[in-house]
Amino acid sequence: MRKLLLIGAMGALLALLVSACGGSSSGGGTISVAKEGEGGAKAVNAACEEEPVAGGTLVYSRQLETVTLNPREIKNGNGDIFADEMLYNGIVRNDPNGPDKVVPGLAESWDVSKDGLTYTFHLRKGLKYSDGSPLSAEDVAWNLEQFADPEVNISLAGVAAGMESAKATDDTTVVVKLEHPVAAFLYNLAIFPAFIVDREKLEAEGPAFWKHPVGTGPFKLKEFAGGSHITFEKNPYYFEKGKPYLDSMRWNFVPNSNTRVLALKSGEAQMIDGVPFAQVESLQGDTNLAIQEVELPQEILLVTNTKVKALADVHVRHALSLAINRPQLNETVFRGTGTVPNSVIQNFELDASDQEVPPFEFNVEKAKAEMAKSKFADGFTVSLQYPAGFDYFKQMALLVQQEMGQIGVNVKLEELEAATIAEKWLEGEFELTFPFTGTTSDVPVPDEYASFYALPEAELDGFKSFWTNKEAEGLVQKFISSTDEGARQSEWKVIQELFNEEMPSLNVMDFPLINGHQSNVCGTKANGLGVDQMQETWIAGKSS
Amino acid sequence: MLVYLIKRLMVSIVVLIGIALGTFLIIHLVPGDPAKIQLGVHATPATVAKLHHEWGLDRSWPEQFWLYLGNIVTFNFGNSTAFSSNVAELIGNRIGPTAILVAYGLLIALVIGVPLAIVAAVRQGGVVDNAIRVLTTFTFAMPPFWLGLMLALLLGFELKWFPVSGYETGISGILRTCTVPALTIGLGLLVIIVRNLRANLVTVLHGEYIEAARARGYSELRVVAKHAMRNSIIGVITILASIFGFMVGILVLIENVFQIPGAGTLLVQAVSKRDYQLVQTLVFLSGAVVVIVGFLTDVAYAWLDPRIRLAGRS
Repeated sequence: MRKLLLIGAMGALLALLVSACGGSSSGGGTISVAKEGEGGAKAVNAACEEEPVAGGTLVYSRQLETVTLNPREIKNGNGDIFADEMLYNGIVRNDPNGPDKVVPGLAESWDVSKDGLTYTFHLRKGLKYSDGSPLSAEDVAWNLEQFADPEVNISLAGVAAGMESAKATDDTTVVVKLEHPVAAFLYNLAIFPAFIVDREKLEAEGPAFWKHPVGTGPFKLKEFAGGSHITFEKNPYYFEKGKPYLDSMRWNFVPNSNTRVLALKSGEAQMIDGVPFAQVESLQGDTNLAIQEVELPQEILLVTNTKVKALADVHVRHALSLAINRPQLNETVFRGTGTVPNSVIQNFELDASDQEVPPFEFNVEKAKAEMAKSKFADGFTVSLQYPAGFDYFKQMALLVQQEMGQIGVNVKLEELEAATIAEKWLEGEFELTFPFTGTTSDVPVPDEYASFYALPEAELDGFKSFWTNKEAEGLVQKFISSTDEGARQSEWKVIQELFNEEMPSLNVMDFPLINGHQSNVCGTKANGLGVDQMQETWIAGKSS
Repeated sequence: MLVYLIKRLMVSIVVLIGIALGTFLIIHLVPGDPAKIQLGVHATPATVAKLHHEWGLDRSWPEQFWLYLGNIVTFNFGNSTAFSSNVAELIGNRIGPTAILVAYGLLIALVIGVPLAIVAAVRQGGVVDNAIRVLTTFTFAMPPFWLGLMLALLLGFELKWFPVSGYETGISGILRTCTVPALTIGLGLLVIIVRNLRANLVTVLHGEYIEAARARGYSELRVVAKHAMRNSIIGVITILASIFGFMVGILVLIENVFQIPGAGTLLVQAVSKRDYQLVQTLVFLSGAVVVIVGFLTDVAYAWLDPRIRLAGRS
């Protein structure tokens, strides 16, 4: 009997350890929204060039499970956020066609006062929730107050910073007041914590509301089977007439990437996300399928802890960056889908072009020269933490180890489970680390990440590089409060260059989301954050 | 017998408390804070403190453990932090597919394994015996996630007999969606059944009472199926009951590959999100099943064999 107990207990522990070593694909718990979809793949099916056809059902196998439908308390990153985008809308939206601009949502227009402190939103007339009940300006104002309440908006209270009040002044007008100008305010209103939900039902039902929530999005919820799937039906009251084209949609939660690819190839799924880099080429060869690279502000971030003496030396940080052969990394690891960055933080539409600010260079001689200029000319030893369970991180870590060895930096590799690595990053218990599988911005403008790095009030210690720079702090403070778009463009170039010069951390690669779909699935658009715009998606009659 | 039962019951309770304590300590000692995981880069000290308070994580460890023990006794397992849901309800929704998978997998293992073991025992040392032993060792040695993918590729993608992944309810839905994953489990367990049953049969087939049966002129089929099997299969079933703990680890992988919304994938998610309440409950319940099965086995043995229950008295 003792043996039985021992075996049983060991089995339970084994399961615990196996799962603890499995790694998470959600980027170590980042709230990750993608950006800047370009609308994606060229349609391989000529039928997609025709007028969209309404009707049909689509099965979409997704990597991340939807855990909650409460947009103000996200539990599982894009698993939750993408589902929220189906069920709800904001008063403004990120352009469904990709470029980084804010377009009308529930509000058809808005005015901003000269001082940038008052936003007056004019709602569309006759708006209805997906159950047919009317949506009032008071509902919108109440939802925006919820967005501004950090007790309610647990997911992303920071994006509501600066908001003072929201009031309905008549049936279709909502006035929002700010405490100080916030340049990215409209972008902040376009994302999930500011989504509008049915106030009356939420107040009546309490937390049970989130099991069958009601919003104004292109779809309404039909069934939510935790751990398995979620199904949506067309919202007949959606404000964009004629959309969505699909009658219904089923999202299967399939964390295993091989299983997702198999589901796509077998036709059991019409769409999948998270195509592994290694399988892009083989899927591209299949004429029945289309591979879509969705551009977004997403990077492989290598954080340098400047509390470590050697890494506090800016010459060393430059040497490390120069030693990384990014073009080779792009070919071998990202199969050419990545982009060599020209900015420490993710790629944004506001970024200066490659001509104005060149991409990070690979030059071992220059790297050695930088090392020689530093106080660590003889080299040093440093540890590099990377997440377990991802082949491409192992490859990257080995390449980085080898390349840094060439300039006298002895890198010791530490493979850690994703949640552990993120925790160690947050606590500053690392020297070099890849803290997230993908580091993404919540908004399609650089305000969020520039603040994370430069502003003490972000409480993130230079995004845990522990880098501080008074000049950067002043410039970023001005940039995020500036209401002049033209001025912001030139201000951002200065900040981008200063960040590159200081290099608080290393941007190893900008890389896209990779989705796949059957060739008769058309209109597979993503907005500037990489979020699927399923209201635009339709199924062509036959595959060419 | 009563004294023996009470003793065994006491031991089981101590073991269960040990499992509860072990799980509690392991999940709390593993780096990773559930609040920080949920908040990601937005984990400011204030928001982390707020969630800690909301989830009771600002209490001392002994206090948390005491509350957890209280929850177990009252069968109120609290709320999951990662899923915004009641733990009992969450597990209740996920336990069905897992139980079906385990039962179906065992059934397949027995249906394939028992005849193979009989053939191997009867043809002991021959080509067929060796082939069966090599084959079962091969299916056992293959990692379940790889074997599962290969079966999905063959039976789902190429032959289109079954879907490559997914889960459906109802008898036909279960047969459609659970056959390939259950076959993966069954092939993994095959070696345990075949090797043990074969070894038992080989021993039994040399027994005097088998010779006597043969001498009476019974057919070989009757000798094996009726006389030898009866004495050989009990040991195998005992072993199968005892490997439940190990099966949890296999289930985690199989459910992941075949997209079965079971308790195994729930455990993985709970661990990766450091959902203390959910991890503790899931591991405790798996441990409890092993303990209960072990207890019942011991009781059955004691009832059958007086030497066991009387051993302590001498």
